[in-house]
Amino acid sequence: MLRFILSRLLWMVPALIVVSFMSFVLIQLPPGDYVTTYIATLAASNEIVDQNTAADLRSRFGLDQPMIVQYFKWITGILFRGDFGLSFEWQQPVSELIWERMALTLLLTFSTLIATWGIALPIGVFSAVKKYSIADYIVTFFSFLGLAIPSFLLALVLMYIAAVQFGQEVGGLFSEPYVNAPWSFGKVVDLLHHLWIPVIILAVSGTASLIRVMRANMLDELGKPYVTTARAKGLSEFHLLVKYPVRIALNPFISTIAWLLPNLVSGSIIVAIVLSLPTAGPLLLQSLMSQDMYLAGAFVLLICALTLVGALISDILLALADPRIRLE
Amino acid sequence: MDNFEDLKRARGLDRRDVLKGMAGAAAVSMFAGPALAQAAKAEAPDLAKLAADGKLPKLADRIPANPLVINVEKVGKYGGALRRGLRGSADHNGILRLVGNQGLVRWNLAFTEVLPNVAEKWEVNANSTEFTFTLRKGMKWSDGKPFTADDVVFSIEDCAKNSELYKSVPSTLVIGGRPGTASKVDDNTVKFTFASPYALFLEIMATPLGQHPTLFCRHYASQFHPKYNPNVGDLAKAANLSGWPDLFRARNGDIEIPSRWSNPEKPTLDPWVIKEPYTGGATRVVMERNPYFWQVDQAGNQLPYIDRLTFNISQDVESLMLDAISGRLDIQERHIDTLQNKPTLSQNMQKGGYRLVELIASSSQQVQIYLNMTHKDPKMREMLGNKEFRQALSMGINRKEIIEIVYLGQSQPWQTGPRPGHPWEHKQLSTQFTDHDPKKANEILDRLGYNKKDGQGFRLRPDGQKVFFAIDVIPTLYPDAVDTLELVKRHWAEIGVDIKVNTIERALYYTRGDNNDHDAAVWPGPGGLDPMLDPRDYFAQHPQGSRYAIPWTQWYVSNGKDGQEPPESQKQRMKLFNEALATSDLKKRGEIMKQLMDLTAEAFETVGICLAVNAFGIVRNNLNNVPQKYPNAWSWPNPGPALPQQFFFS
Repeated sequence: MLRFILSRLLWMVPALIVVSFMSFVLIQLPPGDYVTTYIATLAASNEIVDQNTAADLRSRFGLDQPMIVQYFKWITGILFRGDFGLSFEWQQPVSELIWERMALTLLLTFSTLIATWGIALPIGVFSAVKKYSIADYIVTFFSFLGLAIPSFLLALVLMYIAAVQFGQEVGGLFSEPYVNAPWSFGKVVDLLHHLWIPVIILAVSGTASLIRVMRANMLDELGKPYVTTARAKGLSEFHLLVKYPVRIALNPFISTIAWLLPNLVSGSIIVAIVLSLPTAGPLLLQSLMSQDMYLAGAFVLLICALTLVGALISDILLALADPRIRLE
Repeated sequence: MDNFEDLKRARGLDRRDVLKGMAGAAAVSMFAGPALAQAAKAEAPDLAKLAADGKLPKLADRIPANPLVINVEKVGKYGGALRRGLRGSADHNGILRLVGNQGLVRWNLAFTEVLPNVAEKWEVNANSTEFTFTLRKGMKWSDGKPFTADDVVFSIEDCAKNSELYKSVPSTLVIGGRPGTASKVDDNTVKFTFASPYALFLEIMATPLGQHPTLFCRHYASQFHPKYNPNVGDLAKAANLSGWPDLFRARNGDIEIPSRWSNPEKPTLDPWVIKEPYTGGATRVVMERNPYFWQVDQAGNQLPYIDRLTFNISQDVESLMLDAISGRLDIQERHIDTLQNKPTLSQNMQKGGYRLVELIASSSQQVQIYLNMTHKDPKMREMLGNKEFRQALSMGINRKEIIEIVYLGQSQPWQTGPRPGHPWEHKQLSTQFTDHDPKKANEILDRLGYNKKDGQGFRLRPDGQKVFFAIDVIPTLYPDAVDTLELVKRHWAEIGVDIKVNTIERALYYTRGDNNDHDAAVWPGPGGLDPMLDPRDYFAQHPQGSRYAIPWTQWYVSNGKDGQEPPESQKQRMKLFNEALATSDLKKRGEIMKQLMDLTAEAFETVGICLAVNAFGIVRNNLNNVPQKYPNAWSWPNPGPALPQQFFFS
């Protein structure tokens, strides 16, 4: 086990190097650079950048140097000084920008995860056990509906109804007086008041697909002889379900952890943008759109690192939860 | 349609006023300060309380002896918070437009005349090389320290002209390739000297890019400057920045970068100052009243009336629309003023409790088609560079149909040139070849040798290639231009010319333009209300804007070192424009510009569709003193020159 973990960790090093280079190249691939995008964005509001200033910006940010030189500068900064560089747009250190948003992102992602699992697991089990009953059809209908509705659309519709019909404040995670207030009991309550809308919206699509996965897995297991044996031995139906088939059917849930970690950063971008949530997603998109290279690069690097770590964690957990899986 | 006239009527201006005002510097010396200096009498209740408690100096000590008196429509009352929306990225100019245009001088409402602002008066010498500004005695920065001529000199000489901070001096301070010099005459008088005549200097100083003289506060900013603080390198290192210029910028900002609004400690001259800054992670920006603001209304009340500004940052423009229709924005035009949004916003006026105001386009042309006359392919260059070819294309467009379908009838056929009613309006330039005449267009094309056709009915060039070119357009910025081009494509198919509407991403659009790789491109054509400030369609002036001949513009801006040598007509116009820039007498300048536009009309380089359509904004019903109409421009950074400091809530 320990050897497995060590070798996996060692393999991550070359993977990260390749990934960092690839992500830097990818971010550079679109035509133009930060300065062109900046000029174009301002031009969209009829605004003009002083021509001397524009040329100035390019040399100040080192955008006139060859790409390999830019990459080298960036990566050595990270490796030797832990310095992710300065965001072109905000003139603030990249690490500061990212961490600032991480806490709320974590909170949102984990609340969503708990809500998703809390809804999906029991319903999935239920609809498998009561296969083809009226209740199963109703649950199936709603889960397909949930799968089919894009979450950003749901967000827009809910916002419209809340804003126009009820005149309620929507968007963001805090109401006006609390936005920049220090943490207090009131602020936490206020956060909870706002948190449920994005959590529900995000959970709906996740729930729907997980219900389907859980149902299918359970159906695979329920027909197996060990279930019949257990039942013949007189185990109560609830006890039986939870102890055997559900445990096996859980494997896919554990696998989801692999993509859960990168989702912390990149998941739910569209919903976060629509709802104006102060999470990492919108900042990532912004940085890509404005070709703010160091910020975008740091994000992509972070996502890749989290993917690798997530995959490792879910492999280990799988091995722990399911004795049939061997790591060696 | 006649918006310029409307605007003047609305403000009771007659043509003579406009003519007089156009130059700003028309008179050799100008004492345009208020006739009656108004003593300050009243202040906001919260400030009065602070002053009474001794936490703030008395009102008379906070504002200059001769404050700028704004003649407001209705004397307002203090209080309230103004709500406005920003987009998440690169939207710092949304703040600039509301508060950040406190330069030496400012524009009047009609965008025709320069008025006193930070400077109470000024004098210009006979050949427009020396400008002497008198500052307001006793004026203070927002931290209560005096604002003097030293600050202006510091901003220009130590900052704008510092080659580490600005690799090249901002172009607003440069004329004839040489930067001007700012010098102190006494504490309240500062003089700008230029090597050659710079008649447009005052107008430029009223635009956002001309704010350098009042941008940096000496007593604060000098701590980040090596001349005043030898240890600035350590400061930069401590802040994890690579050098003092980075630190200086992060703390003091620049005219249009986000960090201008990210430091609450930085003193400014603005009506409101930053409380919650605009940074990468921000979800809103809050600004509060500047207790030292140096303007009063005619009754002697210190401005601004409104306590606080709140800018909510929306990542998504749709949610900004939602805020608008549910009445959560007090004044907004930015990001929501597209034609498609107008019906929705009009329908929800009652529900949202707002009214619409008209924003007069400062552009001339809604969709200017720039055919690349300096195309890299000689055959294409020959075709697109031929005036008669362009003339045929122009007459092949059914402009009436486009205006009806795309612009809901709100425009008129138009090429380019100052807008109707502008004193420099040029009939020929604006309306030549705008009649739909496919028969004549076909005759011209036949005569030019494009008389053979392929199987689909498209014309062939003498070398056998189809008469075809691609027009670059950015759909995310200008969806209406895409619709227009689809119609133009149909119209031109009728005269046998094939085009591709090349919808591309904006950075690619710029890159193709910069490299001169495009066949043709569209962009709104500026110069409608501000022909002197943005003449890119009148001659090859703007290296990223005059897209019909980028290499000629490079020749112009590099004084003949780079790019390609333009034809004689262009060279004449370049000379005329430089002459106009040096002419302070407005009538003479108008005559020079008329000559220039005669040449533009003769050369007929750009093909236009229709007069730029007015935009609109929303204003909450309880917000007063907002003009019903004002220009929509960058040089007149709306709504700033409509003076938000005198808006108030009833």
